[in-house]
Amino acid sequence: MLSCKDVTERASDLIDGNLSAWDVLQMRLHLAMCKGCDAFIGQLRMTRDVTRSVAEAETRQSADAADIEAILCQLHESKQGDG
Amino acid sequence: MSTNTQDEHRLVERLVAGDRAAFEQLYRKNNAAMVRMCTGFVRNHATAEELVQETWIAVLKNIGSFEGRSSLAGWIYTILLNKARSRLKRDGRQVSFDESGEDNGLQAAFDGRGRWKDIPELWEELTPERVVAGRSVLEHVNAAIEALPSAQRAVLILRGQQGMDAAEVCAILNINEGNMRVLLHRARLALRIALDRLQ
Ligand SMILES: [Zn+2]
Repeated sequence: MLSCKDVTERASDLIDGNLSAWDVLQMRLHLAMCKGCDAFIGQLRMTRDVTRSVAEAETRQSADAADIEAILCQLHESKQGDG
Repeated sequence: MSTNTQDEHRLVERLVAGDRAAFEQLYRKNNAAMVRMCTGFVRNHATAEELVQETWIAVLKNIGSFEGRSSLAGWIYTILLNKARSRLKRDGRQVSFDESGEDNGLQAAFDGRGRWKDIPELWEELTPERVVAGRSVLEHVNAAIEALPSAQRAVLILRGQQGMDAAEVCAILNINEGNMRVLLHRARLALRIALDRLQ
């Protein structure tokens, strides 16, 4: 029987699908009986999803045109330097 | 060829052709993540920004020789890490790849038999939508990522945010898959604490 501590240690492997069928079953047995661990797994899933959405939100923000201009400018100069 | 590989192939072709919009797309998806990851390694934001800019120039200059043996992102992050390594070597330092930060908020969470002392509660308020809607939540999460030790931060960014292949993440950071999973788990535990404070 897994302890709550065991469950938290394997929590990422559970939500990422890295556990064997047997280990998943052991986890599910514990989660069915333990509200705390069930909430913890929910929090970790949310943490995973929020982390991803933060990156996606950042991607949607418009890029700094001046930064891009600076890169393209330097690229141009370095190409001329090569030639 | 999968849709992803096809999309990437097309993006590379546009980059080779000097398509500015294609570069903007690539830049938007990766620039902030690159700076954040690199700052962890070199411990200095301005140096990281400089190295990321050099990386972009190298990417555009050499895109014609990109052979697709790794993903485009994998290739870019490898260039970045190599630049970080040689800059630090030049300065007589090494890439800081620390894994400390053991205090993940669970050290004192359990009794002697491994049961919760304080039982976690469901987060009622938090959704990914709310994170995207509220700038302050976004900044809170980014600040928490920036507080992570460099190894955890790199794995969280590459695997947890950019969605890169596990094998590719391991190759870029020169770690094994078990190690990568532990680092990702620790990073999430730290972020969980940060998000818990928002409740
Ligand atoms: Zn439990």
